[in-house]
Formats: sequence, structure tokens, C-alpha cells
Amino acid sequence: MNLKLQKINKHFKQFVLRDINLEIQEGEYFVILGPSGAGKTLILELIAGLIKPDTGEISGVDRQKIGFIYQDYMLFPHLSAAENIAYGLKVKKMPKEDIKTLVAGLAVRYGIEHLLDRDVVNLSGGEKQRVAIARAMAVSPRFLLLDEPTAALDRNLRIKTRSMFLDLHKKTAATFIHVTHDFEEALTLADRLAILINGRVVQCGKPDDVFNNPGNKEIADFLGYRNVFGGVVKKGLIDLMGVSVAVPLDDAEFAYIAILSDDIIISKRRLQSSARNSFRGTVKDVINSSSLVEVVLDIGIDLSVDITRKSKEELNIKPGDPMWATFKVSSIKVFKH
Amino acid sequence: MKFKIIFSFLGFLLVIFIALPIFKMLVAADPGTLVETAKDSEVYSAIFLTLRASLWATIAALLFGVPLAYILARNDFKGKKIIEGIIDLPVIIPHTAAGIALLTVLGRNSWFSKMSGIEIIGTEIAISLGMFFVSVPFLVNAAKEGFKLIDERYEKTAITLGATPWKAFLTVSLPMVKKSVISGSIMMWGRGISEFGVVVILAYHPVTAPVLIFERFQNFGLKYALPVTALLILISLAIFVIVRIFEDKKR
Repeated sequence: MNLKLQKINKHFKQFVLRDINLEIQEGEYFVILGPSGAGKTLILELIAGLIKPDTGEISGVDRQKIGFIYQDYMLFPHLSAAENIAYGLKVKKMPKEDIKTLVAGLAVRYGIEHLLDRDVVNLSGGEKQRVAIARAMAVSPRFLLLDEPTAALDRNLRIKTRSMFLDLHKKTAATFIHVTHDFEEALTLADRLAILINGRVVQCGKPDDVFNNPGNKEIADFLGYRNVFGGVVKKGLIDLMGVSVAVPLDDAEFAYIAILSDDIIISKRRLQSSARNSFRGTVKDVINSSSLVEVVLDIGIDLSVDITRKSKEELNIKPGDPMWATFKVSSIKVFKH
Repeated sequence: MKFKIIFSFLGFLLVIFIALPIFKMLVAADPGTLVETAKDSEVYSAIFLTLRASLWATIAALLFGVPLAYILARNDFKGKKIIEGIIDLPVIIPHTAAGIALLTVLGRNSWFSKMSGIEIIGTEIAISLGMFFVSVPFLVNAAKEGFKLIDERYEKTAITLGATPWKAFLTVSLPMVKKSVISGSIMMWGRGISEFGVVVILAYHPVTAPVLIFERFQNFGLKYALPVTALLILISLAIFVIVRIFEDKKR
């Protein structure tokens, strides 16, 4: 049975959810992606029945079959790791011997046998996370709700954790609902995702579709699009502060465009190509990051272009150099708002 | 460096101001007289009555005050500030005034007394109620601050693991706030033991230690009041030190 949220409205402290409609398929890895303060945690708490919606309906969830892992994990500090894991079983009045066996099994599965007698306060972030997962999985949930479960970890561990979640999802076949602000994480994990901004679901779909076709400028901004500009479109040309760029749109009083930085080619001389957009500009800045080099080229507007380190060496790009930027009309994305 | 010296000096003056009179009093009472005083049945029954009555008050406050503290820590509602003000009120009003106020509710001609036919003025119950009235803010406020420090998501996590709200409170919130509650209880118990104003109005008899001290001072002078005072302080001190040590050992 699919989990359905219909016309949910909720006002809770400083957070607001407005007209949330979502259908999450059974067994799906569903990601809710949004900036902090968007109300993501609130959706999870509504699904878990921890709070009630002001209006609207939630169906298709068995509240007895929920695992919930908060950011910071919320391990009970007055209990040992083993007692934390056993908590849900103890509440269900399972016989002590059975609890012991189950906890031992979970400890092996999540690689935390050596932590069982430890005070949870002194565990590392990664260890806490594994104890929290074991505690949630102890009650065999059919829905696992994850609230920014990797936010408290450093980058390397965060990336490792992603594959652990995928593995866990495969093994349990439970429905995963995972909240994050990290779009890389969403892209890696999600079967489908919803983008939540200011308490509204602004887009929902398969990760590739959403990332390739953001519905509006706000979503594009959130997804980390660069080279987003707005202007008047006349006869297939958009006017960006005097720079005329050919776009896949005839006329509009106002529209936003995004030129994907991967689709821009920069060169010392003008390229002989079918691309209609070719501009001469000056290199304004060259910014190194771990894998790529970002070149900011001033063509009347600032274009941000990613190139490899190797091409940076070959082209020997320095600030002040004249360069050409070339991109196809078809590579431009247009948003009406 | 200068900063530290000046701060230490100011603090030192304060500690001396409190410690000196107590020290002087303890040395003024010679050990022989103290033993004699402790054997005086009026004295020891007054001291035990004081400790006991304040203990009842503290137990009652745990039962009523901890739930209230939890509500105040977890919820925002209209009139919350008023309730918090009412809770703090006993700390700031003169305790004789508190005694008078309690008389209007519990006294011989009160509605309560007429309806129930129970006479509580002049009993241990009246003493406990008076102590409760003036010292309960210490427990409620300590527990409230304790609950405030605990992330609500611990309780929510317990609920998602199948606990009822009752179970979550008893197995998660309460153990986590234990230290604040115990600390508040000790403060409240101690405050109850020291209470004079409200007790003397609600029940002159049976006499509690503070009333006995006052009585002996009034009737026989400083020399007779001194041993009782010293004894009460020594016993209180011993109890509080033991309770604190016990509490530290447990964690």
C-alpha cells in the first residue's frame, strides 16, 4: 500500500507546511530535499504520527511499524548502547532472553559488538549512527524515516554512509523516507524525490528529471545552478544587460535562463561551430576546487565555466586573458518564473 | 591577575559573612551542652518533626510539582506567565503573610474546615502544608529548567519505538532529568526545614525546631537558644552532605 499525504497543512512553531500532496510507493527510497527551515522534519513527524496535521489526511502508514532516526541520533544518554538498542523490544515486553539474542544479532549486523557496553555519550558520530540504526531496526520497521542522518558526519563518512543506506534499503525492502539538504546525497539515494522550499513541495519526480529540468528559478538556484540570468525575450533573443543571447523561446516579457557551465566551451580563438552563441570576453577569475577549475569570464555578464585542471594548464588561463565562450541554444534552460 | 585577585577577594568577603556567624555559634555551644540538649526530648522531637514535616512536603511536591514542571517546560500556552508568576510568589511574599493566607483556606472558620469537619490547624499536616507552600517553587523551578534542557526529540524517538507517552516520560524524560529533580528536592527540603514564619502561624504546637529556637530565645535568652540552633545546623549539614555524597557516588 502506498503512503499518501493529501492536502496537508500544518503550522508548528516557526515552521509551516502548505498544501502538501505526496504519494510514496511501498518499498521506495524517497528523498525529501530542501534547504534548512523548509519544514522537512515536520513532514517526517507527521508521517510518524508524532504530531497531527491542522488539515489534510495521511494514509497507508502503520504507526507500529516505523523507525525514526533524527539528526544527532537522539541516543538515550542514560542507557548503554545495548540498552538503547533493546529499548523498543523492552517496551514491547519481549522476553529478556529473546531481547539479548536479538540485540547480539543486530550488533553483529551493524558492526557494533565492541560498543554494546559503552556509554553512548562517548561514541563517535559514526558509531552513534550505527547504534541508532540498530535501535530503529530492532523493531523491524516497514517505514524508515531518516532526518538528515548524515549531517553530523564528516565528508568521507557521509559518502560511505550513503552506500550503507542503499544496502540497508535493499536488504529490508522497507519504505525509506530520507530528508536532506544535500542534493548530491539525494541524487545518489533517491528512487524519487520531492523538493520542499518554504513549506511547499515545488517539484517531485525521478532525480535525473528533477535535476535536468528544474521547474523554476528558485529550484534551479537551490540545485546549485550557476549562470542564471533574467531578461526580456524578443524574437528568440534574450537581452541580458546589453548582451543578446539566442534562446529556445520566441517572445516573453520576462524569463530566466540557465546556461549549464558544462555546456560552455571556452577557447583562445573563436570556434568554427554551429553554436549560435559565441561571445568574446575577459577572464575575471580562476578558482581552484578539488576536482575542477572554475573560470569566471566577463562577456558583459559574468559566465561561470568549469574546466578540468588539464585544460587549465593547456590553455594557460590567467585573469585578464581574452577568451571566447561558445554554447548551443539547445543547452539553455528557460524558466518562466 | 589583578582581575582574579579582586574577584576572589569580593567572593571571600561574602563567604566569610555567611560562615563566620555560624562558626561563632558552633564554637560558643560547648560539646557538653550540645549532648545535654540532644537528650532533651522536647529538642529532639522538635528537630525530627521538622525534618519529617519537610520531607512530607517534598514528597508531595514531587507528585504534584514534577508534572507541572514538565507542562511548563514543554508547552507554550496563554496564561503560562501567570502560572509561573504564581509559582514564584511564595519566594517573594513575607512568610507570615503566607501563613495568614493559608489560614483563610485551612483555618477553623474556613470553607474547607466546615465542609470536611477536619481540623488541621495545629497539626503536623498544617506544618507540612505551610512548608510546602513556601518551598515548592525550588523544586518546580529546578525540575522545569531540567526538562527544558532535554531535547523533546528523545521522547519522540521513544514513542516511535513503541512507547506510550507515559512510558516515554518514565523511562526517558524522568531519568534524564533526575539530577535536577534531586537537586531541587534537596533545596526544597532544606528550605522547608528552615521555615519559621508560615509554621508559627499555622501551628505553634507541635513545635518545630525553628519555633523552639524562637521560643527559647524569647523566654530564656540567647544562651538557651544557642545549643538548639547549633544542633539543628549540625544535623542539617550532616544530612545534606550525606545526600550529596550519595548522589555523586551514584553517577
